[in-house]
Amino acid sequence: MSKLVVSNLSINRSELPVVSSLDIAVESGAISVLLGANGAGKTTLLEGLSGIIPVAGGTIEIDGREIQKARPGVRSREGLAHVEQGRTVFRQLTTEENLRVSLHAGADIAEAYALFPELVQRRSVKASLLSGGEQQMLVIARALLTRPKVLLIDEMSAGLAPVIVTRLMSAVRKLADNGLAVLLVEQFAALALSIGNRAYVMRRGRVVHDGDCLKLLKSPGELHRLYLGG
Amino acid sequence: MNALLTSAVAGLTAGGTYALLGVCAVFTYRLVAVVNFTGAAIGTAGTFVLIALYEAGYPIWPSVAAGIAAGTLVGVAIGYIMTRWFGEASASTKAAVTVALLVGIIAIGLRLTGGQHPHNMPELFPGSAFRMAGVEVTIASVLTIGLAALFTVLADLFLNRTKVGLNLRALADRPMAAELLGIRVQLLSLLVWGMTGAFTTFALMIIAPQRSPNFMTLSLLVVPALAAALVGLFRSFWRTLAGGIVLGLVEGMASSIDSVSQYRSAIPFLVVLAVLLWSQREARWDEAR
Ligand SMILES: Nc1ncnc2c1ncn2[C@@H]1O[C@H](COP(=O)(O)OP(=O)(O)OP(=O)(O)O)[C@@H](O)[C@H]1O
Ligand SMILES: [Mg+2]
Repeated sequence: MSKLVVSNLSINRSELPVVSSLDIAVESGAISVLLGANGAGKTTLLEGLSGIIPVAGGTIEIDGREIQKARPGVRSREGLAHVEQGRTVFRQLTTEENLRVSLHAGADIAEAYALFPELVQRRSVKASLLSGGEQQMLVIARALLTRPKVLLIDEMSAGLAPVIVTRLMSAVRKLADNGLAVLLVEQFAALALSIGNRAYVMRRGRVVHDGDCLKLLKSPGELHRLYLGG
Repeated sequence: MNALLTSAVAGLTAGGTYALLGVCAVFTYRLVAVVNFTGAAIGTAGTFVLIALYEAGYPIWPSVAAGIAAGTLVGVAIGYIMTRWFGEASASTKAAVTVALLVGIIAIGLRLTGGQHPHNMPELFPGSAFRMAGVEVTIASVLTIGLAALFTVLADLFLNRTKVGLNLRALADRPMAAELLGIRVQLLSLLVWGMTGAFTTFALMIIAPQRSPNFMTLSLLVVPALAAALVGLFRSFWRTLAGGIVLGLVEGMASSIDSVSQYRSAIPFLVVLAVLLWSQREARWDEAR
């Protein structure tokens, strides 16, 4: 059964529809990859899911419970975590303080350091002074400590070296293998498809493709066509 | 010379109050990103609850407690308005909203308390604490300065040593990221408003007998308070504390020099101007964080 079920969702921005009648489902233990050209509405969708912006219609369910009207904090407590675009570390706090802020009952900071051992020696460093890769690790680890059931990740690879991106991708794969439901928005389509299970492609606020990641990976022509339309 | 010293020391009580109000303003600005013009008005509302109860014949200390509770509530109410409807607004919009609220509170306050009608404000801490250079230093002045220093130390400990303080610092840094992690953002913000409300109310109760206990006069103490906060560039608690005390001392001295005494209410303005010119940090007023 799917952890996150989105039905007939519409989201407006400045009164204009950006996401329209969208249906997606995200399963536990799997990575659903969400692809789409710039401006397709991927970030808008994730922000609507986590409650940063209101939705205009439709439902969002986690474990069968509707959350589309709840505040972001409530959705977080229902098991939704959102790693936003742009590495939103708490700049004035140290690495460890960033982790402590999100530490929920039953979670242990050691889990964060186990996932990203690189962060251990940076624990007392102010987050604004971390490298881009370290900041990305920190926000993923921070989201993890809220004990989520569903993890939304928006363009975690933006501006990072390929070796770091590979590192992050394998960490996310590990999280999914441990049972998390992951919705991964990516520009690096090939890399994301190679670690993902289910692939969605969005165009102008709608899902235009729903299929298997490997299949899409093996037919670049198809992916190209989906991106550009036609 | 001695007269100058006497009046400088007399300005200490005011200085302590400016310092405490200023430190509360910095606290509010740093944690909920609002330049709060209603700070003193919140305390004034609480102080007038004390006056009303005292004039109605209730014993003094329970009335003080009721007044502080009322000030806390007014602070929380204003905080609710600011977080509920203006949480996403820019720093300058928020400041403008608090100015509007200040005008509203003063209007309601003057209506309820009868404007210039003389009130009987009990002196909570009468008498002098000690003599300094042959001048009496009042208990009230020692207390306000002590309270300001206490608030500074407590705020520091609270922010750096407790989980709630850590959450508050995260909230001040990135409100949305904090909310996405399930931090109870609204509750925390209201806590900040309530805490500053309680402290300012107590400070105003101490200073009210020395001022004309008029709702408008007391509410406008926010001007020197924000001047003190500006000395600390809305960041440093200790510089704000020092700024408030110095402001009070200078004002006190000015009151003893005939030729300048009538202009002494312009002193906070001059201080603001001097600090702005000196540091060229005007941007502080508009900075989002
Ligand atoms: N704050 C906003 N106000 C109005 N329109 C917006 C706003 N943010 C985004 N949009 C519009 O919504 C559409 C979708 O933007 P969105 O950021 O969701 O796309 P995206 O798929 O995440 O793109 P990218 O790959 O560039 O990150 C775009 O047409 C954009 O112009
Ligand atoms: Mg985007």
